[in-house]
Amino acid sequence: MEIKETAVAGTLESSDIQIMISKAATGIQIDLQSDVEKQFGDQIRNVITTTLNALDVTAAKVKAVDKGALDCVIKARTIAAVQRASQTTDQPAWEVL
Amino acid sequence: MDNQIVDLYLNDPKVKKDWQAFLTSLNITNFAANEVDQIDYTIGIYNGDDLVATGSVAGNVLKYIGVCNKGVTNGSRFNAIVSELVNRQFAQHIYHLFVFTKIKYSESFQHIGFSELAHSDEAAFLETGSPDVNDFLAEIPRVDGQNDKQVAGIVMNANPFTRGHRYLVEQAASQNDLVYVFVVNTDASLFTTAERFQLVQAGTADLDNVIVVDGGDYMVSYATFPAYFLASPDQAVTYQTTLDARIFRNVIAPALNIKTRYVGSEPLSRTTNIYNEVLNRELPPAVQVKVIDRTQTLTSDQQVITATQVRQFIKNGELSSLSDFVPETTAQFIQHHLTPLQTRIQEGMNIDGN
Repeated sequence: MEIKETAVAGTLESSDIQIMISKAATGIQIDLQSDVEKQFGDQIRNVITTTLNALDVTAAKVKAVDKGALDCVIKARTIAAVQRASQTTDQPAWEVL
Repeated sequence: MDNQIVDLYLNDPKVKKDWQAFLTSLNITNFAANEVDQIDYTIGIYNGDDLVATGSVAGNVLKYIGVCNKGVTNGSRFNAIVSELVNRQFAQHIYHLFVFTKIKYSESFQHIGFSELAHSDEAAFLETGSPDVNDFLAEIPRVDGQNDKQVAGIVMNANPFTRGHRYLVEQAASQNDLVYVFVVNTDASLFTTAERFQLVQAGTADLDNVIVVDGGDYMVSYATFPAYFLASPDQAVTYQTTLDARIFRNVIAPALNIKTRYVGSEPLSRTTNIYNEVLNRELPPAVQVKVIDRTQTLTSDQQVITATQVRQFIKNGELSSLSDFVPETTAQFIQHHLTPLQTRIQEGMNIDGN
């Protein structure tokens, strides 16, 4: 999927993650902020990257502010942000779940 | 329910009174009309009948954020309020937000994804979202071997571009390898941002080592320096210009290898004069400040050239002495657009400020 505009999903409340996706020329670049960065930073980045790959997103700038979200939440927020950013919310990508 | 967010309508006197009383109890006490009138909307959280958290938005700036943590987990209401404001702004496609706050709250904002652009002893200025300052800097054109060159910067509103501005740019261009002219981006002047930008470009087109750049949200913008556009007390001017100067010193100048900032001496505008003093105090030694004496550019009958005077000519339709004050490119533009410019003045555009 092609990122067409900036979009966001999620909140800054406890157990959630806010994911902002914007256009990039090439590659996936993740800027993660998390209190558990030391323990789970790589895992969170990995979930985001895997989800983006599953959605065929090859170029994107991701800004994530994590408040202790579980993997399923990270995945759901990433999918929602990508669908908003690619203007495809009318065709939910169920198979990615 | 806990953390239920509601809209606060400040045009209801009772709501406004509660809101003011709550913020005052948290030591937020500036309710001057020129601040409050800019608010687009306000939200809050009630616990029973008591307001326990609130936040507002004006354009792309979060304002009047106040939270009481009594009886709840520290930060949960703060996160709820800021999340809601941020999400509402994003829903309106405003993805780039700023906040001015007391220095002790800077960390709370950084904790939820804001990054600090600059801070002074009292205040901090932060941004979140995209495009951020790194995107802004990445867009600015560079020349080969810029890091070994002597680079200077000028920030101007140029409302409109005069012979005084031209002289300042010429001086900088003759003393440096490369000069960036940042044109103020906020559209709150008689000449629109696009017009001002175009006139600066046209008026400097013959100078090969000058690059004209949009100053974005980071140089004398409505976000960083509202007092430039609204009449404000000296203290507010000093406080805002200190942050503006530090952003230039810490973020803008190092990225572009700018070692000198040129400013015009300012006998006539109080606000700009304070700004120049603050630049002199804040920028060195990282960035030198060169003040170019304005009296070098008197008109043939010894008047100081100011854009304020040019706007006065436009208002009165006296174009006879225009070319003493502005370069040919600006004069032509004014002659061709006299009627729309005069209409803007008649419709209430203030021409006595900056």
